[in-house]
Amino acid sequence: MKAKEFNIKWGMVIDLDKCTGCGACMTACQVENNIAPMVDASNKLRTLSWMLVYELSNKKAAPDAEIAYLPRPCMQCGNPACVPVCPVVATDKNEEGGIVSQIYPRCIGCRYCMAACPYHARYFNWEDPVFPKGMEKALSPNTSARPRGVVEKCNFCHTRLMKAKDKARQEGGNPEALADGAYMPACVEVCPTGAITFGDLKNPEHKVHELAKNENAFRLLEKLGLAPQVYYMSKREWVRKLGDNYAATGKAGAAKKHS
Amino acid sequence: MDRALFPEGVERCSFGKFALWMGFITAFFLFGLFAMLLIFYKGIVVTGLDNYFGFGLWITFDLAVIALGAGAFFTGFLKYILRIKQLENIINLTVIVGFICYSGAMLVLTMDIGQPIRAWFGYWHPNVHSMLTEVIFCITCYCLVLIIEYVPLILEQKQLNKIPFLHHLAHNMHVNMALFAGIGAFLSTFHQGSLGGMYGVLIGRPYAFREGFFIWPWTFFLFVLSAVGCGPIFTVLVCTFMEKLTGRKLVDFKTKALMGKIAGTMLTVYIFFKILDTWAWANNYLPSVGMTFDQMFYGVIYGKWLMFTEIILCGLVPAIMLITPSIRNNPTMLYTAGILDCIGVTLNRYLFTVQAIAIPVLPFDSWQTYAPNWAEWATSGMIVAYGFLVMSLSYRYLPVFPQERMLNK
Amino acid sequence: MGLDRRGFVKFVVGGVAGTLFTPVIWQGLDDASIWSQNWGWIPRVPKGEVKTKSALSKLCPSGCAVKVKVIEGKPFAAVGNAANPMSKGGVCPICAGGAQLLYSPARVKSPMKKVGEGKFEAIKWEDAEALLVEKLTPLKGQEGKIAAISGDETGSANEVLSALLSGLGNAGGFAVMPGEMYTATRGVKLMGGNGQPGFDIEGADLVLMIGADALDSWGTSVANLKAFAASHPTGGAATAQYIYAGPTLNNTASVCDKWLAVPPTATATFSLALAHALIEAGAVSSAADFAEYKALAAKAAAGFEAATGLKAEALKELAAKIKAAKAPLVVAGASFGQGAGALDFVAAASLNVLLGRVGQKGGMTVLGAAPKAIASAADRENAKDAASLLAQVATGKAAPAALLIYEANPAYALPQAAEMAKAMGNIAFKVSFSTYMDETAALADLILPAPHPYERYDDAMNPYGVAKATYLAGKPVLKQPVLDVKDPVDVLLAAAGKLGLSLGFETYADVIKAKAKALGADFDALAAGGIWNGEPKGGALSLGAGALAKAAPAAADEKAVALAPVTRLAYGSATLATPPANLLNVRDTELKGKDLFVQLNAATAKKLGVAEGNKVKLSAGGAEVKALVHVNEGVAANTAAILLGFGRSAWDEFTKGKGDNVYKILTVSDEAGTGLKVWAGSTVTVAKV
Repeated sequence: MKAKEFNIKWGMVIDLDKCTGCGACMTACQVENNIAPMVDASNKLRTLSWMLVYELSNKKAAPDAEIAYLPRPCMQCGNPACVPVCPVVATDKNEEGGIVSQIYPRCIGCRYCMAACPYHARYFNWEDPVFPKGMEKALSPNTSARPRGVVEKCNFCHTRLMKAKDKARQEGGNPEALADGAYMPACVEVCPTGAITFGDLKNPEHKVHELAKNENAFRLLEKLGLAPQVYYMSKREWVRKLGDNYAATGKAGAAKKHS
Repeated sequence: MDRALFPEGVERCSFGKFALWMGFITAFFLFGLFAMLLIFYKGIVVTGLDNYFGFGLWITFDLAVIALGAGAFFTGFLKYILRIKQLENIINLTVIVGFICYSGAMLVLTMDIGQPIRAWFGYWHPNVHSMLTEVIFCITCYCLVLIIEYVPLILEQKQLNKIPFLHHLAHNMHVNMALFAGIGAFLSTFHQGSLGGMYGVLIGRPYAFREGFFIWPWTFFLFVLSAVGCGPIFTVLVCTFMEKLTGRKLVDFKTKALMGKIAGTMLTVYIFFKILDTWAWANNYLPSVGMTFDQMFYGVIYGKWLMFTEIILCGLVPAIMLITPSIRNNPTMLYTAGILDCIGVTLNRYLFTVQAIAIPVLPFDSWQTYAPNWAEWATSGMIVAYGFLVMSLSYRYLPVFPQERMLNK
Repeated sequence: MGLDRRGFVKFVVGGVAGTLFTPVIWQGLDDASIWSQNWGWIPRVPKGEVKTKSALSKLCPSGCAVKVKVIEGKPFAAVGNAANPMSKGGVCPICAGGAQLLYSPARVKSPMKKVGEGKFEAIKWEDAEALLVEKLTPLKGQEGKIAAISGDETGSANEVLSALLSGLGNAGGFAVMPGEMYTATRGVKLMGGNGQPGFDIEGADLVLMIGADALDSWGTSVANLKAFAASHPTGGAATAQYIYAGPTLNNTASVCDKWLAVPPTATATFSLALAHALIEAGAVSSAADFAEYKALAAKAAAGFEAATGLKAEALKELAAKIKAAKAPLVVAGASFGQGAGALDFVAAASLNVLLGRVGQKGGMTVLGAAPKAIASAADRENAKDAASLLAQVATGKAAPAALLIYEANPAYALPQAAEMAKAMGNIAFKVSFSTYMDETAALADLILPAPHPYERYDDAMNPYGVAKATYLAGKPVLKQPVLDVKDPVDVLLAAAGKLGLSLGFETYADVIKAKAKALGADFDALAAGGIWNGEPKGGALSLGAGALAKAAPAAADEKAVALAPVTRLAYGSATLATPPANLLNVRDTELKGKDLFVQLNAATAKKLGVAEGNKVKLSAGGAEVKALVHVNEGVAANTAAILLGFGRSAWDEFTKGKGDNVYKILTVSDEAGTGLKVWAGSTVTVAKV
């Protein structure tokens, strides 16, 4: 299968050596996307977290133990597993930039896309969004609230892309060639260490263009051939090795048969 | 008191006994109905499904009953298209079983989707690339076909059949039944396959993903074969169960053995390819994505014993039993093989549904386990109860078994 | 039969076709798709232009300089203020959800008067203020009858509180909640200096954090994170090394080049043993007490392996790295931001003296006292600590009749919390100035709701950790508060007036403006997101050997393990329970349902005879905390790590009753030689239940 190509490819390079796991990205994501707070957020099998910070461990005993934090937005795969399976075209990868859309009014909530996504980036809205009394006054204008029964996910704060393009038009710029930093998702904007670099992977003027080619850059589960637009990087080998499955060969960089 | 409604020349139990039986089944049905209404009201948050297990008992149940209901299309195909006359002794039963399975599955699906009000979007906004779209189309269309096949049977009810219009209608429908059987066979083959295809295309789920032929992953063909390998024998089991329950002979053993032979042949073909497929998957595909066979299994709940039970004990063993005439012609052995066969195919559907998504594909993720909760069991039970109700009514009032009079003389 | 077959078919086909020509089906389908998206109970999002306003968001301990995004006049999001050097565009996980906290269900909605055990009645502001004056009037001029506890480390409100108490004849009644600033300033004194210590993380090329969780919950964490980020360019080579020595592999340690697992009971030993390794490697100091210090260090080194469970080799490697660095810096602090004695601080800070790093770029600094807005206010470091105050109340050594509690939660966030809350019962009239219905407000006789940071003027002088004098100020983002609240300082100033005391100001805004003026800063520029900085200072410090010599080595208890309370900024602070939006950040290996997890490494768990998932109780000082065991290799030897900040009994449905309050089992002891109350080295026994 061949990845869908566009002239613009919005992507991230997340430097795992700079992520302290503080969680500001998760908070900012909830705020931007109007995700209602959950009373029992400890049941991770029922929570909604478009952005989720995983904790990675080198599995060594103290004092040699090391951990790393891995923020996981939607990978916006070039060859998404979720898009072709949707029976009602509620999700598509059809726009310049390559962001995988999710159309909430179209989704019937069959959850086939969730079964398809190995990154667990898709979440089913188990309950109607209920904000503590008054908190609905602090809703963000950028994302409509979703009813229960639909699947939702990160869309790189797509409204911000629309706004950045509008701004470029108003200022006489080219909306199809936004400057580096003119458009960035909420998680990128708040990250206190700047661990997430965001931009057009195909635009040489954007930092991500070079960063994605860094020797320490990798993508999650590359061997499955989903061609994510989110890259990670780490100088720590054990972290890089946790980006894909190597049990079969025991070494990094096994043949990529399925891309 | 309802004797006038019985089929010509057969005995049925007293109305009181029948009412008691129906009441007993209805209790289960009502409990499930309560769960269903609760689910419509509160959403599927009341089930045991979660972020990891978007698919669970319901989808397993759907896939299993659709596979087991495959007796309808395949027997119809053999009877009407290939003209195997002997199958007319059991064809009505296959239609009813098929109808129950498919209509029940559709009901479960409306519960299973988060937005039941949008269930029709599958037609309005179809994604032609999605195996699920194909499933939605074929299942609903085939369910219509089954209704068309079921209707003449209802119209042949003794009293209804006295009405000339209905009599003619039933007759005309019968005349054209080969056409519907053909359509049914076509639709059913495709959606049985598409159900397999649904899993085979999951590039992110190494347990399920398969390469294939043209647009169809190998699971497409395996699901078709496994369905026809169990559907016919499931009808035989249903028939035998009804015989035990009513104490009356309904279908001669020769016909049952023929159904066993048909299922056995298909099961043998299936299991041959299934073993090949599993071998290639474990030795070729899995290493190519960096995973090992061992990584696909976990503890007892998702242990290897499940796969061995599915393929060997409930696949290879019943296949051999069913294609060996001496074993097949022994009723006990036939039914044992049938039960194993049905368990094997159900287990296959379960593993593709649940185990496939329980496996942590991300290396830093961990295994999750799933157990259906009462709401899922109750609603699944409701479908079974619904099946019992339909079957009980059909048996009591409709001329389902052409041989019944002769066999019980 | 009137209907023949043909007729029937016609009827059915005609009926279906006819219906399709009516709008019934199509309209129905259309409506269904619209309804299912727009049910009346799904909240609508606002439309309009988004504006941004600068604010000082003092939701986190150090305060974040933020830009608040506002639509239709309502704040909905906060991001860092790129123009402010303390933020550089970064924001902490608490302040990122600041807009939502405006509507926190835990907010106190109006003044409340206690009318029975746990029962409150909403009253009018004028009645509330009259009650406050009525209760204080008879106590005026009676030494020891009025006390105040402030939970704010940086605001000028402290000056008002302190001056008010002095004016009412209770100069000694002002107490502050425990924090690093307090003990560290004492520590500097023991080293012959005067003022609050600062750490120039940005300028260092090797940052050794001993205890201090500087990249998450310690000090000005966002500024620290920005300094870390600047030295670790994405895709490039790092220009500074970061090393963490502390009890847990926490957020800070996760990005460090090295984590040294040091139990909280062995912090000073670790620091002094490192000093020994450095001296062995050739470090010398011209400080007068070097010889004495050297001997102390050698003694500590001898006990290093037993106290920490680490190999001496690790120290040698570390010493070599430090020696090789051009601008090494040791950041001293308690792993959970409080309770360490001055001596833990001295031991770590003395390394900076030994390395000659005091007053250097990328070194340790000492900030002088800042000019005050109110001359009669006492200096911050002269305040009492709240734990000592309440301990005195408990034993009858102090008997205030009125207690003013400003932005503090002493009933929850002091060691041996249960006893502290009980001691508060001995005080007849307690007023809580609080934004949220916290455990202390729930015990108060009068609750006066304070504004959220977006509704008030506030300032921050020298948030702990800054390398040079720093001042931030902010004004309200909202024209009108969303609830019936008043600024506590405004209320106190008005009350002072009625008590016949003039502090020279009528509002908090005036106080802050005067403070800015005293510093020579422009208030308007500060309120627009600016900053005022003084020059960094050094000052000659000793190695503190005299004080360190008095430190009694902790008595080893074979049965007990060291308790390492863990703070994570995202989960709240001493004054803020986990905000609703941040609950999602809490891991299911930290809190599951209503159960907290205690983290033990496999060796410790084995030693204690417990396994993953076991329910255990941690007991100390007559109190206990229940938890589930999670085996975690990111914990030092013989140490039990557990999250601080849970087990709330007030607040809201998001936090109430979840987990247990670890403050309960922090045991206070007196530090030899300094008289300070310490609890960072608490130990607990762990037993299965």
